[in-house]
Amino acid sequence: MNSPVKPALILAAVGAAVILVPLAAPPYYVTLMLPFMAYGVVLLGFNLLFGYTGLVSFGHALFIGIGAYTGAVLTTRFGIRHMEVILLAAAVAAAVAAAPVGALCVRYVKIYFGMLTLAFGMVFYTFLLKFYRLTGGDEGMRMLRPYLLGSEWAGFNKTAYLVGPYYYFSLAVLVVATLLMWRIVSSPFGLCLRTIRDNPLKAESLGIGVSRYRWHAFMISAVYAAVGGALLAPPIGNVDPTLVYWTHSGNVVFMVLLGGFASFFGPLLGAFVFIFLQDTVMSVFPYWRLVFGAVLAFLVICAPGGLMGLFARRPVPLEPERG
Amino acid sequence: MILEAQDLRQRYGAYVALDGISLTIRENEFVSIIGPNGAGKSTLINVLTGALPPTEGRVRFKGRDIGGIGPVALTRLGMARSFQLVQIFPDLTVLETLEAAVVSRLGRGLRLFASLRGDRAMRAEALEVAELFGLATRAHVPARVLPQGDKKLLDVASAFTLRPEIILLDEPTSGVSTADKHAVMEILVAAARRIGLRSIIQVEHDMDIVFGYSDRIIALHQGRVLADATPDAIRADARVVDTVIGRGAR
Amino acid sequence: MTANLVNVIMGGVFHAAILFLVAAGLQLVFGVQKIFNLACGSFYALGAYSGISAVSYFTGHGGSPALFIVPLALGGLAVGLVGLAVERGLLRFVYDRDETFQLLLTFALVLMLEDVIRLTWGTAPASTGGLYLAYGQARILGSTVPVYNLIVIAASVAIALGMSYLLGRTAFGRIIRAAADNREMAEALGVDMRSVYARVFTLGTMLGTLGGALVIPATAAMSEMGVELIVEAFAVVVIGGLGSMRGAFVGALVVGVLRSIAISVYPELEMLLIYLIVIAVLLWRPRGLFGAAAA
Repeated sequence: MNSPVKPALILAAVGAAVILVPLAAPPYYVTLMLPFMAYGVVLLGFNLLFGYTGLVSFGHALFIGIGAYTGAVLTTRFGIRHMEVILLAAAVAAAVAAAPVGALCVRYVKIYFGMLTLAFGMVFYTFLLKFYRLTGGDEGMRMLRPYLLGSEWAGFNKTAYLVGPYYYFSLAVLVVATLLMWRIVSSPFGLCLRTIRDNPLKAESLGIGVSRYRWHAFMISAVYAAVGGALLAPPIGNVDPTLVYWTHSGNVVFMVLLGGFASFFGPLLGAFVFIFLQDTVMSVFPYWRLVFGAVLAFLVICAPGGLMGLFARRPVPLEPERG
Repeated sequence: MILEAQDLRQRYGAYVALDGISLTIRENEFVSIIGPNGAGKSTLINVLTGALPPTEGRVRFKGRDIGGIGPVALTRLGMARSFQLVQIFPDLTVLETLEAAVVSRLGRGLRLFASLRGDRAMRAEALEVAELFGLATRAHVPARVLPQGDKKLLDVASAFTLRPEIILLDEPTSGVSTADKHAVMEILVAAARRIGLRSIIQVEHDMDIVFGYSDRIIALHQGRVLADATPDAIRADARVVDTVIGRGAR
Repeated sequence: MTANLVNVIMGGVFHAAILFLVAAGLQLVFGVQKIFNLACGSFYALGAYSGISAVSYFTGHGGSPALFIVPLALGGLAVGLVGLAVERGLLRFVYDRDETFQLLLTFALVLMLEDVIRLTWGTAPASTGGLYLAYGQARILGSTVPVYNLIVIAASVAIALGMSYLLGRTAFGRIIRAAADNREMAEALGVDMRSVYARVFTLGTMLGTLGGALVIPATAAMSEMGVELIVEAFAVVVIGGLGSMRGAFVGALVVGVLRSIAISVYPELEMLLIYLIVIAVLLWRPRGLFGAAAA
C-alpha cells in the first residue's frame, strides 16, 4: 500500500492552494470556487448515499432547493441575516423534509428509488413554481447578503465580500463538512452502510436493518445538500425553482460519477472539474450540454470509476475467478 | 433454548411446499436436515429463520413465536444462518466483514462519529474469529477476490461472529472439494465450541458429512418429515435409504 | 357547462393520445431491455422539431396545407430512426451494467439531444402556425373540438391496436414478449438479441418522435419540451405499470384526462396532482395497474 505520507502531502498542497486562491487569482475564478465549495458539501452528502450505501437519488435537488430557499426566506421575509442561523435552519428544514420522504423511499431500491425521489423532487418544483404568492414563482426570491460571524461586512462591495469573507466562510464550512463526513464513513455506521451497499440480504442476516440505515444515510445526505444549497444562494443573490428541477438532480449524479463515487474525495474532485469545465466550455462554445453529455456517456461506458477510478489500482485476484 | 416447529404448512398458491412439519431442536444438538431436491428444505429453512411466515403452523424459538419476524429481529434473539449460495460483501475485506458482525452484535451500528479503526477490542475479536476459520492471513483481502472455499468460510464465520445460540447452516460444504469438506467441518465444529454455540442445524447433501457429525438426522420428503432419528436408526430405515440416501450408501 | 366538460375531457384525451405514443415507446424499451429511457422526452422534442421542418419544407415546395399531416407524421417517424444509431452506438455498451449506469447513459442522451436540437433549430419556439385548424372543427356534445385532435386520437388508437396485434399475433411480437420475459432463455432458443434490441429500441424511439410531431399543431415546439415530458411519461408508466402496453394506454388516459381536469379546476394543481398520484402508486402498488410484480 502507498505510504500515508503521499496522500497527506497532496492534501496539504491542495489545502494551501485553496487558501491562497483569493490572494493570487483573478476575482472571476475566485467566485467560481464558491459554487464548487457549495456543491462540494452537497456531493459529500450525496456520495454517502450513493457510493457508500448504493442508492441513487434523482431528486436530490429537492434538498438543495430547501437549503437555498431557506436562506432566501429567512433573509427577505424574516429579516434573519446571520449565515450561521441560516445554515442551521437549512439543516433542520432538510431533516424535517427528509424524515418522511426518506422513510417512504428507502424501502425501494434501484430504479424505483430513483423514480420516487425524482417524483418528490418534481412535487417540490411544482409547488415552488405554482404557488407564486408564497415562493415568487418562476422568478424566485431574492437572497440578501448574509452576515458572516455577525458582521455585514458593509465596507466590502459585492465582489470583495464574495472573494474575501464569504470565500473563507464557505471554505470553513466545506472543511468542517469534510471532516465530519470522514468521521462518519470511518465509523461503525459507515461500515454498516457499506455492508448494505454490497449485499443487503447478507447485511440483514447479520442483524443490520437495511431500511433503517438507509434512512439515516438519506437524512444525513439531505442535510448536507441543504447546507450546500444555502451556500449556493448568496453569490447569485436569487433562488428560483430551476434549482429543484430533475435535471439539476441529474447533474449532481453526474458530478459524483465524474469525480469517482468509489473514493472519499472523488465527489469533491467531481464538483471542481464540473464547475470549471462547465465555465470553460460555456465561454468557448454555447452548447456545453452536448459536450457534457458526451463526457457523461464516455464516463459511463469507459470509466465508470470516474477520475479517481483512473488513479486507483484494482487488486489482483488470488485465484482466477470462475464466471 | 429450543427451536420448535409445530405443524408447519407453506403454500405457494396451489403448490404445497411444506405439508405439516413438526420438529424440535434441543440444546447441544447437531441436527442435519436431508432430503431430495423439492423436498421443501429451502422453504423450511426460510420459515425456521423467520424469513417466511408459515401459511399455517408455528415456529418458536426459546418459547417465542418467530414466524416471519425477519432476519434482523432473529439475530437479536440469538439465531443466525449461513447461505447455500455464498453471500459475502464483495468490496469489504475479511476483517471488515467480521467487524461488521461485531458492530451489529454490540448494537454500535448507529455510532456515527466513533472511530472504527480505534476500537481495538472489536478488531481483536474480528481477528480471533478470522483465526478460528483460517482466514487470518487474508484479513485485509477484499472478499470478492477470495477463493470460493474461503468465501464460504467467511459467510459462516461472519454468522458465527454474532455469537448466536443456534445457527442454521445451509449446505456449508457445497462447492467445497471433497478433500476439503472434512477440514471445513472440523473448523466449523471447533469454532462452534470456542464461541459457545449451543446447537447447529445444517442442511446437507453429502451423506459422509451428515453421518459423520450429526447427533440426529431429519429426513424430508415432499414437504413432510419422513424420519427423525439418530444416524444409526436412519441408516436402518429403508424408506429414507430409498428416497433420500440412495442404495449403496455406507 | 357540459360543453366545457366535454372540452376539458376531449383536450385530455388528445393529450393522452400523444402521451400514449411516448409511453408505449418507453414501455417497449423497458419491457425488453429493462432500461428506463430518460431520453424519451428528448426524442419527443426531436420529433416535434423535425415534424415542423418537414411541414415547412412541404408547404414551402407547393404542398397543399390540407395534407400537412402527412409530412408531419412522416417527418416524425423518419427522425425516429436515429434510435438505431443511438442503440448501436451507445446503448449496447451498457446492457450488462448496473441499472444506475444505464439510467445515467440515457441522461447523457438527454443532455446531448437538448443541445443538438438547439444547434439545429435554435432556441426560439417553433410551430406550424394556423395549420392546426386546417381540418376545421367538429361539434361534439355541444362543444367544438378541432378535427385535427380527433384524427390524432384515432391514429393513436389505431397504433395501440397495431401494437397489440404486433405483440400478440406476429412472430416478432412473440420474440419481444419472450425476450421481455426471460432474456437468457430466449437467447438459448436462438433469438438474436442484438437484432431484437436494435429493432425494439428503434421502434420505441419512433413512437416517441411520432408523438412529438403529432402534438405540434396544438402547441409550440420549445426547447424544454423534452425534459418536461419525461416526468409526465414517467407518471404514465408508473401508474400503468412498468413494461405494460395496456398500462401505457390506461395510464396515458388517466394522466391526460386528470391533468386536463386539474388545470380547468385549479391551475396551480396541474402536475402536482399527477405527482402525488405517482407517489401514492409507488407506495401502495409499485407495479402499477398492469405491471409485473415489483423488484
